[in-house]
Amino acid sequence: MRPALSVNNIVKYFHEPETIQVLKEISFAVQPGEFLALVGKSGSGKSTLLYLLSTMDTDYEGTIDINGTRLTGLKQNELARFRNEHIGFVFQFHYLLPEFSVLDNVMLPALKLGKLSPEQIRTKALELLYKLDIKGHENKKASRISGGQQQRVAIARALINDPAIIMGDEPTGNLDSKNTKVVFDIFRQLARESGQTIVAVTHDDEFAANCDRVIEMVDGKILAG
Amino acid sequence: MSVNNKIAWVHLTSKIRQLIVAVLSVTFGISMYIFMNSFTGGVNDAQAELVFNTMAHIRVYNDLPKEAQRLLPVPEGRDTVQFVSNPKRIRYTEGIKNAGPIRELLESIPDVVAVTEQLNENVFFHNGVSKVSGSLSGIDVESENQMFNTAQYMTEGDLYELERRNDGVVLGTGLADKISAQMGDVISLSTADGILKAYKVVGLIETGASSVDKSRAIISIQAARQLLSKNRSYATDVLANLRNYNDARSQAQRIAVSIPYKTEAWQEGNSQLESANTLRDILAVTVSLTILIVAGFGIYNIMNMTVNEKMREIAILKAMGFDGKDIVQIFLVQSVVIGFMGGVVGLFLGFLISVGVDHIPFKIASLNTLPIAYNPIDYVMALAFGLLTTFVAGYLPARKASQIDPVEILRG
Ligand SMILES: Nc1ncnc2c1ncn2[C@@H]1O[C@H](COP(=O)(O)OP(=O)(O)O)[C@@H](O)[C@H]1O
Ligand SMILES: [Mg+2]
Repeated sequence: MRPALSVNNIVKYFHEPETIQVLKEISFAVQPGEFLALVGKSGSGKSTLLYLLSTMDTDYEGTIDINGTRLTGLKQNELARFRNEHIGFVFQFHYLLPEFSVLDNVMLPALKLGKLSPEQIRTKALELLYKLDIKGHENKKASRISGGQQQRVAIARALINDPAIIMGDEPTGNLDSKNTKVVFDIFRQLARESGQTIVAVTHDDEFAANCDRVIEMVDGKILAG
Repeated sequence: MSVNNKIAWVHLTSKIRQLIVAVLSVTFGISMYIFMNSFTGGVNDAQAELVFNTMAHIRVYNDLPKEAQRLLPVPEGRDTVQFVSNPKRIRYTEGIKNAGPIRELLESIPDVVAVTEQLNENVFFHNGVSKVSGSLSGIDVESENQMFNTAQYMTEGDLYELERRNDGVVLGTGLADKISAQMGDVISLSTADGILKAYKVVGLIETGASSVDKSRAIISIQAARQLLSKNRSYATDVLANLRNYNDARSQAQRIAVSIPYKTEAWQEGNSQLESANTLRDILAVTVSLTILIVAGFGIYNIMNMTVNEKMREIAILKAMGFDGKDIVQIFLVQSVVIGFMGGVVGLFLGFLISVGVDHIPFKIASLNTLPIAYNPIDYVMALAFGLLTTFVAGYLPARKASQIDPVEILRG
């Protein structure tokens, strides 16, 4: 089977304040529908790796392929389009657009993609919000709901374009244990039922223990996962 | 509405006060642009009007030839030198023998709004013992009045009286003073050829140009032809007015080809008026463009602040798959909307200010209120410059926004 994500010999340096090598020849592959946890001490390079995978950072050596598409070497606007259609991103801090309503926040990536009509997108966004148990808050400003709700809205936003792969940088890092469980269950269900691939950086041992696979990073290298 | 416009709209409407300030700065710039240019236009027109009381936009007359006529053929070869001592420039014909065809030609030009003929001659005015030199204008009353509104400047009597009687004369008020003539007096004129004829003063005229009022008398062109024993269609000047006096030079050039006489635009004898007009225009454009540019800095500042405040949102949009062009569009649309709203309001405000100033009393020379010109081109240019300024002022922050590296911001 074609891997959902394949990473080959990734090397990454930071040059400020001095040149340091943050990622050292990293290679691994993730299968479709796999739920992968990326763990490791703070400063080991997890976030840096995830930003490379998300195509937002293009300053690296090696190659990255998602769903058989070679992303290394594509132009910025091609990457933006790819990101829009195939990658859903959930950050540690929810990062919603505060001036927009909850519903608008969820709809924006799909409006940008433009594959469905605004009406269809609206229906789909509402379904997602209901599924994530955010009913009755659709028309509130995104800044006017609780942290746990905001993180679920951010997940709904990441899911609106049915991305092949969902990435999270400590998506539960800011949540209490109850909300952490809710988010975990959503990811679990997405991987199992819709065959979507999940790559999540986490510090939560319990969260990691229940994933399909755990990759541990130490000083910019990965230990056997 | 596209997503980008939707986002731009939310950004715009989420900070109403900031939006109003930005719109007002454009409004101010544009209305000032309009007012400044309308005012200068008005001043220029008022100046021109004073001049055009007595002068036409285009004048056709019989000029001295440019060079003395060659009496001998130019010698061939380089070993002959030819001297003609004291050659003279001689006008073989005087005036325009047959003004009719020239008048018709001028009238056939669509831009020409009025045409008239004059017969001008220097004469002496006698009244009792006083004897004063001055100029006599034989006019075609009807078309003269159409061109110069001559009847409007009559202080006494009726200009049309000249049409009814061949021995009537209208004197400039200054001239009448000089020879102490009054309405109803009989004065006499003598020409260079020594002909003396009596006329009755049927009116007094004051155009406001005192040099003219002190020296000019008017009779009908028929009477002038009789006095100078000229044929029925003789004139010294054929005058034409155009729809727009600024076109005189180019029109005169075009007409000159088909007329065997000198065709002169008003600018040729009045460069001081033309240069004053041009200088005022330059001043108005400079000042108003400066105001617009200051407004542009205002918008630049506001958009820059918006971009700085929204770094994180921009990074999120990029993470979701909006590319650099989308971000430019989102912020550029905002400043263009500000420019357009400010522009439209500015057009109205500029018009209102102009109307207001147009009503401020100002009684000097022929003016009653401060002069304002209402030229559509000023409004078009104001909007065009306004949009251009906001476009440039908005583009720089928008480009900066599009270059934000989302990783740097989202890494936290
Ligand atoms: N923009 C940057 N410039 C320089 N060094 C950086 C930058 N971002 C991260 N680093 C360094 O790279 C290493 C890995 O950081 P990061 O990927 O954030 O680790 P993790 O997410 O695993 O905690 C750390 O030593 C960090 O100090
Ligand atoms: Mg990190």
